[in-house]
Amino acid sequence: MNKQDWKILLVDDEHEFITTLAERLELRGINTRVVFDGESALLAVAEDEPQVMILDVLMPGIKGLEVLERVKRTNPNVQVLLLTGHGSTRDGIEGMRLGAFDYMMKPLNIDTLIEKMESAIDYAGKAAKLGQ
Amino acid sequence: MRDALFMGRMTAQATHEMQNILATIRESAGLMEDLLAMGGEGFAHAERFKKGLGVLAAQVERGMTLSEQLNYCAHAPEVCPAGSEVNDALRALAVLFTRIAARHRVRLAFAPGRAGLRTSLRAVEVMDLAGLALDCALPLLARDAELCLRVVEQGGLAEARVEGAPYAEMTAQPVFAELSARAGALGVGLRPGPQGAGLVLALPAPRA
Repeated sequence: MNKQDWKILLVDDEHEFITTLAERLELRGINTRVVFDGESALLAVAEDEPQVMILDVLMPGIKGLEVLERVKRTNPNVQVLLLTGHGSTRDGIEGMRLGAFDYMMKPLNIDTLIEKMESAIDYAGKAAKLGQ
Repeated sequence: MRDALFMGRMTAQATHEMQNILATIRESAGLMEDLLAMGGEGFAHAERFKKGLGVLAAQVERGMTLSEQLNYCAHAPEVCPAGSEVNDALRALAVLFTRIAARHRVRLAFAPGRAGLRTSLRAVEVMDLAGLALDCALPLLARDAELCLRVVEQGGLAEARVEGAPYAEMTAQPVFAELSARAGALGVGLRPGPQGAGLVLALPAPRA
């Protein structure tokens, strides 16, 4: 699948960080939708299911792991990459147990992020074929 | 202990914020780099601009290392039933002690031991003892000398070794009395290193 066809949802309450990341991804031909909290993330997933959701663990309101849990219940095909911080490797591991595809620590390396998104999309494609 | 836990909690919050700030700086610098790569041919100061971005990237890395170890310190007073990981505690100490060593014009090196070596002590206690041992050694070293903080496994137990100064001279330092008293109170063995060189802290075994 071409990068132009990817559907990526970015979720983080750090506005400057996540909008700049979106801009960098768009420069690489990857379309994204950005939301800034867990509630909006759940709505965005319900409206227009993304293939991959980049999800910050520590957000005010609904926490990242709860968003993950709810999305995996309603839209199991959405692959979730968690963004964790210092000392939150445990959150990353817990997230994997809850069905996250992978987790990464901030600050990000954009090339690594794109590689992980590509792997997640490949995985989702294969999983969907097996499910048919 | 309650004070330390509270300050740790506050510090951990601050390090999360620092991490977000550094992540935003990295993305912004990355965006400038991307834009420069896409259309910087006509930009007269492109090379200087790139150099500036390189400096930003290096400083972000530096800030990340520091905030990561500071975050570790923030959690170091917490009691963990499994005890603390000796390499992690002493790595954090070494990173944060580098500046203290530099003030003495001494280079501080850290040599980790086997991964997973644990002790029953809290991380803050391991760091405190090793910090006192470093304080005993630092005034004794010549300019540009190297002081090494090494983790060694001895009979299945973890040892923290401070190498680079003679043990006899370290014991003559005023801070040694405090180190000795703290070590005794925590059940930590204190002895000279091989051939009287350096100091060994023999840490208690983790709880079964």
